[in-house]
Amino acid sequence: MSGRRSRSRQVSGTSRISEEQINDLIIKLQQLLPELRDSRRSDKVSAARVLQETCNYIRNLHREVDDLSERLSELLANTDTAQAALIRSLLTL
Amino acid sequence: MKEEFLKKWQMGLQIYRPLIDNTSVSERRKAIKLSADVAMASLRKGTTCWSRALIQKTATEDNFLVRQMLSGIKAETLINKKLPKVMCHRKIVRRSKKILRRRQSRSAIEEVAAKARKLVKKKTQGLRNVVPGGEFMSNDVLLIQETLDYIVSLQTQVNVMRSIVDAAEAGSERTAYYLGKLKFAIEDG
Repeated sequence: MSGRRSRSRQVSGTSRISEEQINDLIIKLQQLLPELRDSRRSDKVSAARVLQETCNYIRNLHREVDDLSERLSELLANTDTAQAALIRSLLTL
Repeated sequence: MKEEFLKKWQMGLQIYRPLIDNTSVSERRKAIKLSADVAMASLRKGTTCWSRALIQKTATEDNFLVRQMLSGIKAETLINKKLPKVMCHRKIVRRSKKILRRRQSRSAIEEVAAKARKLVKKKTQGLRNVVPGGEFMSNDVLLIQETLDYIVSLQTQVNVMRSIVDAAEAGSERTAYYLGKLKFAIEDG
């Protein structure tokens, strides 16, 4: 009934909605992570854990891209090997 | 999505072609990676924050490449477009949060919930460091949405690159076999 109470209820209401949204998104994130995707229903994974694993996963993907770029670069180094020829045809070079 | 990525990436590599034959391994690696990144980002056609940020970042390293790969007016707007200003005004939010905290009295349960929220905040900050343009996404919901899309795109990039490297390293005697396998892997999804 008091103005203050209803106002604070309103504010916590909106933050509850975005918390729901965030929890929903975090579940979606969990589905993408190879580490956590197969966890059994009984062990619930915390939001903080999902976010941490997400960071780790993204960093790993970055590393992998760098590594693959390096390997491709080395494979292309000798223009007269069969491997180099194969890569060139795959990359239409 | 894999096929589109491959096509765009091939286009970028062809732009680098004169370089590819005559440079060091590290220069070539850089060329390969930059064209892969622009290819990945361009698939989103400017609709996501991370892709715009990545294009801008790559443009600072190789403006010419980015312009060529995104040829058209779109390229100009994507490269020069200012990234959005911080979405919510931090000072105002902080002030109203402080006022809110003063009014609420906290039970033990609320304390635990508050601690969990704080931890989540800390982790989302970590996300901002790894997602391109993350520093401009003060809205957590937006940040996680962008992260979801970014991860899917990264997975595509990695899968295509890995397929090509695996096919090449497997050897040339079985060229036809691996070419077929590669094509299948890419068209598969």
